Amino acid sequence: MLKRKPRRDKMIADYVMQNKENFYRLAYSYVQNREDALDIVQDSIQKAITSDTLKDSNALKSWFYKIVVHTSLDFLRRRKKVTVLDDTTIQLHFPSHKDHYRDIDLEQALNQLPFQYRSVIVLRYFEDLKIEEVAEVLDLNINTVKTRIYKALKILREHIEDIDFEEVSHNG
Amino acid sequence: MGNNKIDQLKKKYKEIPIPSELDSIVESALQKRSPKKHGIRWVAGIVAAGIIFTTSLNVSPTLAKSLEDIPVVGSIVNVLVFKEYRVEEGNYQADIKVPAIDKLENKALEESLNEKYLAESQELYDKFMSEMESQQAFGQDGHLQVDSGFLIKTETDQLLSIGRYVEEIVASSAVTIQYDTIDKENQLLVTLPSLFKDDSYVEVISNNILSQMKEQMKEDPNKMYFIESPDVLDTDVFTTIKRDQNFYINPNNQLVISFDEYEVAPGYMGVTEFVIPTKELEDILVSNQYLK
Repeated sequence: MLKRKPRRDKMIADYVMQNKENFYRLAYSYVQNREDALDIVQDSIQKAITSDTLKDSNALKSWFYKIVVHTSLDFLRRRKKVTVLDDTTIQLHFPSHKDHYRDIDLEQALNQLPFQYRSVIVLRYFEDLKIEEVAEVLDLNINTVKTRIYKALKILREHIEDIDFEEVSHNG
Repeated sequence: MGNNKIDQLKKKYKEIPIPSELDSIVESALQKRSPKKHGIRWVAGIVAAGIIFTTSLNVSPTLAKSLEDIPVVGSIVNVLVFKEYRVEEGNYQADIKVPAIDKLENKALEESLNEKYLAESQELYDKFMSEMESQQAFGQDGHLQVDSGFLIKTETDQLLSIGRYVEEIVASSAVTIQYDTIDKENQLLVTLPSLFKDDSYVEVISNNILSQMKEQMKEDPNKMYFIESPDVLDTDVFTTIKRDQNFYINPNNQLVISFDEYEVAPGYMGVTEFVIPTKELEDILVSNQYLK
């Protein structure tokens, strides 16, 4: 409804140029292959510049990450590679996804995490988003994010004995 | 987090190789932007019959003056750009257009609206300038942007709905839009309570909006409203509209309820609007004068 502005577009373009590699990796972490990840980056940029949903330049980061995550999930849904499960029905026994990673227990464990849990780990620890930003990106409230990080670390714990659980709650 | 294993995982993640085509793909995606429209012309495009735009006077030497004249197109009640504040200093940008209503026979109404518009814009401008000056005084590399103007939502022989929006990009920010709807025939300001026989409209409208929210969320998983759900804090949940909730009447004579950004939905949803079907309101309307 509000008119779009050149300076808004410039801001987005600058941000995208600076962070394109992060977006690519994030997309790759979902789809696990190069061509699809490139497609997702492209689609996300187009969604971003045609969408009017950004109202706050300070929220640019979480807004763009959100678009990349949504685009990746949409892609996976179309491919039917993923079924989104709710927290209570998640089991710990997941079949391997197509495994492009080197054969290391830890990485496998991460890749085998359900998306809800993998997303919070990737965004929080690999992309260094704040808990609040993770919440914004995934449309969750902060407590849900904390719970998911906690559970994700718990699942990974079998492979990562030295994770310090206490840190989660102090990181918000 | 200083955790070795997590750091290891992060390191592996950062080693995901970046394909050489990424640059060219990103650049071509960025170039596919659609051409921009000019704001004023866009507003003028909506005008059917009776609105003049003029711009006048400006204030301090830091302001870049901008004059735009658009010819008169007949007149019953006019909305003009009474004044425009513009500031362009690097990262500090403001563009505040002050609307004014003209040729309303009810001069008291005209003056009270115009005074309100001017006072609010002046306040917005003062706030912007003092924020900018204080940031500059401390040598901070700040970023401040304010964009404010108005749009004509409805212009019929009978009704005029004017929306004034403020888009602020500062430390914490939001978009707000406020509407005024004027009955041009009777020279009255239409308020929400005045449309209904009694206060039951609050509940009727709220319930209708709640069901629209649920419907939309079901249809599109990307949509999200603050309604009861495990992911929304109880304090944020939308339960009811305000007695004087922001609204306008659209050209189809339907009531449209408007919520500011963050009011009922996460920021990415922006300003949200709900058209309330008139048949839902039939029983409680004073008359079908405005809503049909």
